[in-house]
Amino acid sequence: MSRPAPSPIYTLRGAGGPLNALHFSCRGGDPPLLFSGSGTGAIHIWNLNTRRAEKVLEGHSGNSVIWISTLQSTNALISQGRDMRVCQWDLSEGRGEVTDSVWTGSVGFCQCSLLEMSPGTRLLAYPGQQTEEIKIIELPSKAPVCSLIPDAKLGMVMCIKLWQPDSGPGPLLLAGYEDGSLLLWDVSQRSTLSQAVAHPEPVMCLTFDPKRLRGISGSSEKNLSPWMLDGQNNLQLQDPVSLVNPGVSQLSIRGDGKLVASAGWDHRVRVFGWKKLRPLAVLQHHTDMVLSVAFSDHQDPRRRLLAAGSKDQRISLWSIYNEGADTG
Amino acid sequence: MAQITDPKIAFAYLRPACVLLTREPTVPNVETLGAQLRDVDDATLQQLQEYVLFPLRFVLKVPGPKREGLVQAVTKAMSHVLENTCVRSWEVLRDLLSELCLCLCSPTDPGKPAATSEELKSSVLKCLDALLHAAYGDIVFKLFEPSMLPGLGAAISLLLALGEQEKSRGIQAAALKCLQALTLQCDCTQDHVVPAAQEQRVLGNTMASFLPGITMALSRIITGDLRQGHAVTVRAIKVWSRTVGLVMEDSQLQACEPGESPSPDLGRIGKLVVQRTADWAKGTSGRLAALLQKIVSCTSAHQHWRVRLEMVELAERLLARCSQSLGECVGPLLEALVGAVNDEEPRVRERCEVVLREVSERSQRPSGGGGGSNKSGSSSQTFTDVLSENLHALATSLPRLMRTSDDQKKLFVLNVFLGYLKLLGPLVTVVLNSAVHLERISRALMQVLELDVMDVRIVEERSYAAAIETSSGPGSPDPQAAHTQRKHFLFFTDEKVFSALMEICRTLGYYGNIYLLTDHFLDLYRESSAYRKQAAMVLNELVRGAAGIAVATGGRGLEGEGRGRRAPPTRDDLKAAAVSVIEEYTSLNNWHLVTVSEETDRDRQDQQLLSPSRLLSISSSDVNITNANPLQMITSSFTSPSSSSSTSTIHQLNSNIWQLCIQLEGMACFAQALGRNFRPLLMTSLYPILEKAGDETLLVSQAALGSMWGISEACGYASLKELINDNSDYLLNDVSLNLQRLSLHPQAPRVLTVMLAHSDPSLLPLVGDIVQDVLLALDLSYDHTAALFCSVLHALMKALARWFPSSPDKSGESAGPRKSSTDQEVFNVRQFLLDYRKQKELAEGIGVEEDDTDDPVLPPPTECDEDVDGPDVKAELPPHLSITKDVMERCIHLLSDPSLSLRLKVLDVLEVCVCVLSERENELLPMAHRCWPALLQRLTADDPLAVLRAFRVLCTLGESCGDFLRSRVSKEVLPKLSSSLARQAPVSARAGPVYTHTLAYKLQLAVLQGLGSLCLRLDLAEADLDAVCEACLPYLSCRQPIKLQEACLSVFRHLIQADPDAFWFTLNELHCPFSYAPPHPDLRPVHLSGIGRPRDERSDNVLKLLREEFGSQMMSG
Repeated sequence: MSRPAPSPIYTLRGAGGPLNALHFSCRGGDPPLLFSGSGTGAIHIWNLNTRRAEKVLEGHSGNSVIWISTLQSTNALISQGRDMRVCQWDLSEGRGEVTDSVWTGSVGFCQCSLLEMSPGTRLLAYPGQQTEEIKIIELPSKAPVCSLIPDAKLGMVMCIKLWQPDSGPGPLLLAGYEDGSLLLWDVSQRSTLSQAVAHPEPVMCLTFDPKRLRGISGSSEKNLSPWMLDGQNNLQLQDPVSLVNPGVSQLSIRGDGKLVASAGWDHRVRVFGWKKLRPLAVLQHHTDMVLSVAFSDHQDPRRRLLAAGSKDQRISLWSIYNEGADTG
Repeated sequence: MAQITDPKIAFAYLRPACVLLTREPTVPNVETLGAQLRDVDDATLQQLQEYVLFPLRFVLKVPGPKREGLVQAVTKAMSHVLENTCVRSWEVLRDLLSELCLCLCSPTDPGKPAATSEELKSSVLKCLDALLHAAYGDIVFKLFEPSMLPGLGAAISLLLALGEQEKSRGIQAAALKCLQALTLQCDCTQDHVVPAAQEQRVLGNTMASFLPGITMALSRIITGDLRQGHAVTVRAIKVWSRTVGLVMEDSQLQACEPGESPSPDLGRIGKLVVQRTADWAKGTSGRLAALLQKIVSCTSAHQHWRVRLEMVELAERLLARCSQSLGECVGPLLEALVGAVNDEEPRVRERCEVVLREVSERSQRPSGGGGGSNKSGSSSQTFTDVLSENLHALATSLPRLMRTSDDQKKLFVLNVFLGYLKLLGPLVTVVLNSAVHLERISRALMQVLELDVMDVRIVEERSYAAAIETSSGPGSPDPQAAHTQRKHFLFFTDEKVFSALMEICRTLGYYGNIYLLTDHFLDLYRESSAYRKQAAMVLNELVRGAAGIAVATGGRGLEGEGRGRRAPPTRDDLKAAAVSVIEEYTSLNNWHLVTVSEETDRDRQDQQLLSPSRLLSISSSDVNITNANPLQMITSSFTSPSSSSSTSTIHQLNSNIWQLCIQLEGMACFAQALGRNFRPLLMTSLYPILEKAGDETLLVSQAALGSMWGISEACGYASLKELINDNSDYLLNDVSLNLQRLSLHPQAPRVLTVMLAHSDPSLLPLVGDIVQDVLLALDLSYDHTAALFCSVLHALMKALARWFPSSPDKSGESAGPRKSSTDQEVFNVRQFLLDYRKQKELAEGIGVEEDDTDDPVLPPPTECDEDVDGPDVKAELPPHLSITKDVMERCIHLLSDPSLSLRLKVLDVLEVCVCVLSERENELLPMAHRCWPALLQRLTADDPLAVLRAFRVLCTLGESCGDFLRSRVSKEVLPKLSSSLARQAPVSARAGPVYTHTLAYKLQLAVLQGLGSLCLRLDLAEADLDAVCEACLPYLSCRQPIKLQEACLSVFRHLIQADPDAFWFTLNELHCPFSYAPPHPDLRPVHLSGIGRPRDERSDNVLKLLREEFGSQMMSG
């Protein structure tokens, strides 16, 4: 019925540790880059033309890097490590220095979330010192905006997503908690807008599509749980998608809103159509847990890649569903 | 002697002789006058010219038959006068001309030369030449007035007749030179009249009347007897070209006003006058073209270079002056010119290049500025048309010419073709834009370049891993140059023809549009397998040419300064073209071609492994598996009689091989064209090349290596090692990916093998990653892929052994005891006896103090096994050792595989594993312990081939862990080995010379070679040594093959090291050359059973051993 499983177009080797975080930066011009954060604290900058690491940044004193992102307005990189610091890097003109850092105090695995408000100012949401606390600060001034702690006891905060709705004054924040609950926070009001129990297990990851007001979360169990926001900002759970093997590390929606990919603990990357969550492909290549997935933001749709980072210290690059017609 | 300068004195001096001559025309009188003339200086002679000439002319004018001697004397004197004076009077000129002509022609028929002596003719011609040179500028043009036409015509026809019919070359040449002088075209060193434009026109008009006669007669001379000597031919060509150049000159014809009718007073002469109208020019040009064709075909291959040079001059002159009026001749002229571009004579070549450059510049000159721009523009247009027409015509006939003519002619035709391309220069693009032209040219190339694929050797030559490695050695001098196989073509054999063809391709690429050309030839490549190889060859050179490689010399020569190609392709263009071609080359259908016939042993295995469901035919190579007779010739497994395969498949294979070679060469070409910009392309192209470097067909692997050298050079890598190391990430990515889908990509292990063979330890971290993949893939499918992986593992282990050579700590050991025995200069009997007594007492149990001479207790296997050196110890292990352990682990499993060839491979791998691991005894011993049972099986109950290898492994193992093996070997191995040695000894002693090719022999040899050092290394007990000695004794026989004897001697040398006394005794028991007299009568005499024994078959070797090993003792004894 289906074509044979595709193989990666390339495998990036030599990261020297599990790949916790991946981030593409292909818009800025030539060459397209991929950033990877490893369990040994190194951030590799991969040139996707030569497929080689152009540069290796070490800034978290050997502690695992769990999240990386680039700032669109400036040639800067922001990374979160398990040394309880979020570092900002200056990459312009071949530099690679830490220009600023924020102490988070969080010992968990929750990844930060960054929201560009206007050119030059952005909000950073990060897990705070108390395990259920989420802090939001403004960058680059580092002025604290608020600290969000749920009233009920939901356990540790596991994953967060900050976004700016088209209608409405302030940014909103989605957070997944240890007991499987999802909370929608209004940042400016510092209040909970909605709550839903998406999983019986801790929410491991979530991703959200602000255009469709729809998101999906994964857990350590077998189900992926999609949900919607209705007009009143109420979280409404939809039918879950069942997986063969339990455990999802990360979920990622492609920029055009057509695909969603999951990084499975079963060494596999699964690709679904985002609209109906129809399973499309199982990418089998890694020999250990897949920890991260990311879609490239390349301007040429044919060169948009999917990258998956695994505990087996390799990053696989896939070129799938690039023709655009058959994504469903 | 002073000359007379005063005219009066001179007159007085000359007068008597003149008067006398007038009265009595005799030879002496003429000579007297001639002699006197020499005493008068030139200026004076000029004043007296007519006076002096009168008596001479008078002699000629006397009616009636003349004596030749007299005429000759007269003309000689006249020549002197004319050479030193000028003729100012028209009448003198006219009359002298006609008088001299009369002397030449026969009295009865004025059109024919007289049958006079050659001396006379020569003299008259000389005089005529002098006359023409002496004629004054203002009178000489009167010669060309219409009224002179009859006289002039007579002179011309006379001279032509002389030039054509005369036997003497000198006269022929002189006549032609006169003709040249007569038309005021002389090129000798004297001063000449330079006609003004108007006069030139008059000259041309007049000569037009004689053009047919002159050109036809001269053509006959030129194309006539080849033996006539080049001087005449050269002169004739010169006159031809100058006459035509004069009459048909473009500027004259254009300036001609047609209305000029001949004046009526000329009468009948008027009919002779030619009107050079357009019609006339057209007709004449047609006739001239026909003549020119003949001349060109006759002279372009003339053996004397001056003739060929003159042809170039002719072409130059006519192309420069008459390219429009002689439109039909331009083609042949150019052909003559371009054909001379590659003349063997440098002077011709150089001149030709200059001419061609001028011509091409003229043709490319932009038609800008001035009123005449339109005309010159159209002329250059026609010129291009002519060139492309010629090119087209040539391309059309090229295949036919290539099939029919000989190599020399082919070379000429191709040079002409090349010349056209160079001449067209940037306009080649325009020509190629015409689909018809491109089609013609490409078809011609496709047919010409057809390869001869009959050679069977190409298919049969095999390369083995060893060959790949040796060629990669650091000392090997430029293997790139060493391995270039000549291509054999169907239609030519000369290498020069091939290089001309390649240059044509490069030139096409240089001037043409690279996209158009690559697309076109790629289409041809895809179109039919018949064209594939040729198209690939063409594509390779096209891209090279487009990058300007190897076309520079010709190109620069023609272009002149600053006028390059219209739009040289950019880097991106080149890259895009190269990428598209590479993609086509490396596509599945064009890259994975079958290059070995299926009977071949190794390949058959691979095939078998990769498609287990395939039906296997029991072919000849199965013999060594099914029929395991030890006496069977080993070589039989290598002879692959291809009786079953039809020749057509051989051709197919051969063709495939060549296709691959050409494509591989192409990769190097593209790298060369792109230089360092090729580096990104390595991502996709290096892996396929390495695939082929591991190919079994020698030619293919060599081509791949050559290609790799080319690429590393082009991309700025110093060596193959650097090339592979720097790009190992790209390679390994593909390797690891393809290892997971072996059935689709069976080449992946080979690539890894080649990589390992060529790189160094810096590759290890990445390789470590891959090895895990390899082992995983192996674990997943033991039955199907084991043999394939075994070769990878072997390559891997060999690479590791090379990268991490074990420290040579044990090599010095063996020399120790031996030295001491030979250094024992003075043999102290007393000390010996004391020692002996002590030994004896010890042996009888008296005074036993220490008994630590026991075997060291074997470490219980569990003690040093995995559980002790837990995970943390493992982590400390260097990666190469942990890899080795992993590999060895697999070997243990595979040692008992049912397939013999696999077992053999595994044994090879195991041997290297042991070598590598030997530096860590802690790691080696447990592994050795684990693989011992399987190894023992191989040693004792397996095919002789396996025994052979297993024994080698045992020896290697013995080198590094002697103690560990002692009891095992003595209990389990030695008995079997010695019994087999003893059993086989009589066989080998009886066998003939063929025996050395048998397996049994090799086994014996290997055992004997290894046994000695094994015994020593393992420190075996006395009983074991005796057993070994017993088994080896038969091999001391001189009837044994010499190598076995030598090996046996080495066993004894080792045994003697282990226990000198015992074996001295043993040997002397066999044969003792001396009788040992006791030093003191109290001692009993020594009785050795060898004493006095007659010499037998073993004596020689025994004596040799005794002499070498115990030489000093024998002296002292």
